[in-house]
Amino acid sequence: MATPEAVAEKKELAGINADYKEKFGFHDPETGYAYKAPKGLSREVVESISEYKDEPQWMRDFRLKALEHFESRPTPNWGGNLGQIDFDDIHYFVRASEKNSRDWDEVPEDIKNTFDRLGIPEAERKFLSGVGAQYESEVVYHQVNEKLEAQGVIFTDMDTALREHEDLVREHWATIIPPNDNKLAALNSAVWSGGSFVYVPAGVKVEMPLQAYFRINTENMGQFERTLIIAEEGSDVHYIEGCTAPVYSTDSLHSAVVEIVAKPSSRVRYTTVQNWSQNVYNLVTKRAVAQEKATMEWVDCNLGSKLTMKYPSIYLLGPEAHGEILSIAFAGEGQHQDAGGKIIHAAPRTSSSIFSKSISKDGGRSTYRGLLEVADGATESRSKVVCDALLLDEDSRSDTYPTIRIGENDADVGHEATVSKIGDEQVFYLQSHGLDEEEASKMIVNGFIEPVTKELPMEYAVELNRLIELQMEGSIG
Amino acid sequence: MAELATLPPLPDQKTKGWEFTDLSELDLDAYETARPNPSIEGAEGATVLSLAEAAESHPALIAGKLGTLVPGDDPFVARNEAAWTDGVLVHVPAGTTVAEPIRIELPLAQPGAAVYWRTLVVLEEGAEAEVWEHSSSPSDETDALLNSVVELAVGQAATLRYISTQDISERAWIFSSQRAEVERDGRLDWTALGFGSGRGKVRMETKLAGPGSEARVTGGYAGAPGQHLDYDTTQEHAAPNTFSDLAFRGVLADRATAVWRGMIRVDPGAQGTDAFQESRNLLLSPDAHADAIPGLEIEADDVRCTHAAAIAQIDRDQLFYLTSRGLDPADAKQLIIEGFLESLVERLAEGPVREEISAALARRLAEIL
Repeated sequence: MATPEAVAEKKELAGINADYKEKFGFHDPETGYAYKAPKGLSREVVESISEYKDEPQWMRDFRLKALEHFESRPTPNWGGNLGQIDFDDIHYFVRASEKNSRDWDEVPEDIKNTFDRLGIPEAERKFLSGVGAQYESEVVYHQVNEKLEAQGVIFTDMDTALREHEDLVREHWATIIPPNDNKLAALNSAVWSGGSFVYVPAGVKVEMPLQAYFRINTENMGQFERTLIIAEEGSDVHYIEGCTAPVYSTDSLHSAVVEIVAKPSSRVRYTTVQNWSQNVYNLVTKRAVAQEKATMEWVDCNLGSKLTMKYPSIYLLGPEAHGEILSIAFAGEGQHQDAGGKIIHAAPRTSSSIFSKSISKDGGRSTYRGLLEVADGATESRSKVVCDALLLDEDSRSDTYPTIRIGENDADVGHEATVSKIGDEQVFYLQSHGLDEEEASKMIVNGFIEPVTKELPMEYAVELNRLIELQMEGSIG
Repeated sequence: MAELATLPPLPDQKTKGWEFTDLSELDLDAYETARPNPSIEGAEGATVLSLAEAAESHPALIAGKLGTLVPGDDPFVARNEAAWTDGVLVHVPAGTTVAEPIRIELPLAQPGAAVYWRTLVVLEEGAEAEVWEHSSSPSDETDALLNSVVELAVGQAATLRYISTQDISERAWIFSSQRAEVERDGRLDWTALGFGSGRGKVRMETKLAGPGSEARVTGGYAGAPGQHLDYDTTQEHAAPNTFSDLAFRGVLADRATAVWRGMIRVDPGAQGTDAFQESRNLLLSPDAHADAIPGLEIEADDVRCTHAAAIAQIDRDQLFYLTSRGLDPADAKQLIIEGFLESLVERLAEGPVREEISAALARRLAEIL
C-alpha cells in the first residue's frame, strides 16, 4: 500500500521520538556546576562525596562498606543486557548549585527554564503543597506548605533530612534494602545523593499527593537518589515520582533505591511515571514493608528508558496487611521494559494483588517478571496476579515470568496471563462506527491500560494517555 | 563411562532451572549401572523392538531421529547418552493405523541400580498409534536411579497418543528428558502421571514444528511425605497456525513439595498460534509446599496465549456442604480431591486410557490420604 498517505505515515512512524531532543532533549550548559566528582568509582570518590556533604561518620562507613559489596558482586546476567554499562565512565556525583532553595524566586533561572520545558509549572501551581524538584544529584528546590509542616509532616530532600533529622533517618536507613541486597543497591548505597525523605506522623492524613521531579542532566552522569518514606501508625500518604530526561549520545545510568515503612494501619501509595530518554539504563530497587493492617500500593508506569529493570516489592509483615501493585510497561523501538513486582506474604490473613499491562511495538520487548510468595505461617492469605500483554506487530516481543511459591495450604492464590494482539473484530467494530484504524487502535490501547490509569491522579492519567497516543501514532498500516 | 571426564558438571541450585530442586545429596557413583529389563508388548502394524537390537538390524529406522530430538547438552541427557545400553523403538510406517496399544513396562527394582533408558517413537506420515509406557518399583523403599530420554517424532498428519506413567520408589531419583516434535497437521495427545520418585526432574517439551500441528498435554501428580516432584514443560510454537493446550494438576499431602515450571514459546513467524497452559495445585496440609513458574516468551503478534496457575487448599465451603449432607469429613475430602483430578481425566478421550488413568489416580489417592 504505497499511497502517498502511507508513505507519509511511514515517515511519521520512523520519526517517532526523533524530535525528542527539541521537545525534551534540552540540556543546560554544564558550566556553573559547583562540584563534580571525577569519573569512575573508588574509595576516594566515595569519601569525597561524604566529605563534601559533611556527613556523620556512620554514613561514611555505610558508603564505604557498600562500595565493598558493589565491587565484590558480579553484574547481573539475567533480565536485560547490562554488558554495555561502563561503571568507570560515569560521574558519581555532581552538584548543580550551592544552596538548597526553598523559595521559587530563588531557584536559578536556567533550572526554571528546564522545568518550563517539561511543563512542570502547571502541576506545580496546583500542587504547591510540596514539591521536591530533583535537578542533577541534589534537590535544589523544595517547598512544603505550612499546612503540612503544621501537621508535623517532613518532606525534604535526603541530604537535608540527614542533617536535620539524623536520628529518624538513621533508625530506618537501609533497614528495608540493605546495601548488600544486590549490586545496584550497593552502588546506590555507596554514592547516593538526593532523593526524598518523607515522614508522616501517626494519624496524619496527607490530602494532596507529594510530588518530586527527577532529571538527569550531565552527560554520563548517573543519578543515584535515595528515597525513604516512613508512615507512622494510622497515617495516609501518596507520593508521586515522575521523570523525563534529555537525550545524550552515550548511555546514562539511573539507579535509585526507594524504601518505604508502612506502620500499622497506615496507607502508602507510591506512583511512578517513568519517561527517561531512550538511552538511560533505569535499574531501580524499590521495596516496602507493610505492618499490621497497613496498605501499600505501588503504581508503576514505565514508558521511557533503553532498559528498565524494576520490580517494586511489598513484604506483608503484619497480620491483615494488604499490598497492591499496578504496572504498565510500554516498549517501543530499542526498548526493553523488564518490569513486574514481588509480594511476600509473611503474616496471617494478608492479601495482595498484582495487575500488569504491557504493550510492545516496533521491535520493543516487554517482560513481566514477578514473585508471589506465601511463606510458612502466612495462613489464610489471598492473592491474585493478572498479567495482560498486547503485541502490536510481529517484530515485538513479550515475556511473562511469574514465580509463585506457596508454603501454606490454606492460601488462595491465582495467576492468569494473556498475550494477544489487537483484535480484528474490535477494530472492525470501531471502524464501523466511523473511527479510522489508527483512532480505533489508540482507543483499544487506552482501554487496555485503563484499569491502571484510573488509579492515577487525573493530570497524570491525561499525560500518560497522551504519551501513549504519541507513541502509538503511525503504528497501524 | 569412558567419557566421564568430559561430561558436563551436575547442576546445583544456582544453575538456571534448578533453583527449586536440591541435588546436593545425589551421589551418582553410589549407583551401579544396570541393564534395563523391560517387558514390551508390540502391536500389529508397528515395528516394536529393543533399541539395541534395532540399532543393529534396522539402522535406517532410527537414523536421523535417535539423539536428535533431545539435545545432549543437559548434564543428565549427556550421562544417558554415555551410559545407555537399551531402550525401545516404536516405528509405525506411513499410513498405518495401529489399533492396539503398544505397551512398555520398565521396572526399577534393584536397590542401588542406575537404569539408563531410551525411548524412540517414530510415526511416519499419516500413521496413528497409541503408546503406553510405565515404570514402577515393587517397593517404595528401593533406593535407585532412573535416567530416561524419550523422543517422539510425529510425522505429517500422524496422530500419536503417548501415555507415560511412573510409580517408582518414593526414594528413587528420576531424571527424565522427554521431547516431541510434531510435523505439519500432526497431532500429539500426551498424558503423564507422576506418583513416585523422591527427587529429580522430569522435562516434557513439545515442539510444534509444522504448520497446523496440534498438541494436547495433560499431567497429573500426587506427592506423599518426603517427595519432591519437579516438572518442567515447554510448548514451543515454531510454525504458523499451531495449537497447544497443556494442563497440569497436582495434589500434595503432608510435607510433599512440588515445582512446576512451564514455558510457552512462540518463535518469530509463528503467526496464528493458539496456546494455553494451566497448572493447579491442591495442598492438603500446611506443611506441603508448591511452586509454580509459568512463563510466556512471545515473538509473533497474531497470537492468543494464556496461562493460569493456582495453588489452593480444599475449599471449606465445599467441605462444609458435603459434611452437612451427612458425609464424614474424610470421605468428603476425598470426594473433593477426586473432583479436582476429574477435570484432568475429562481431557482424555473416553475409552480404556481414560479408565486406567482414572483408576490409577484413585489408587494413588488412597495411598497418600
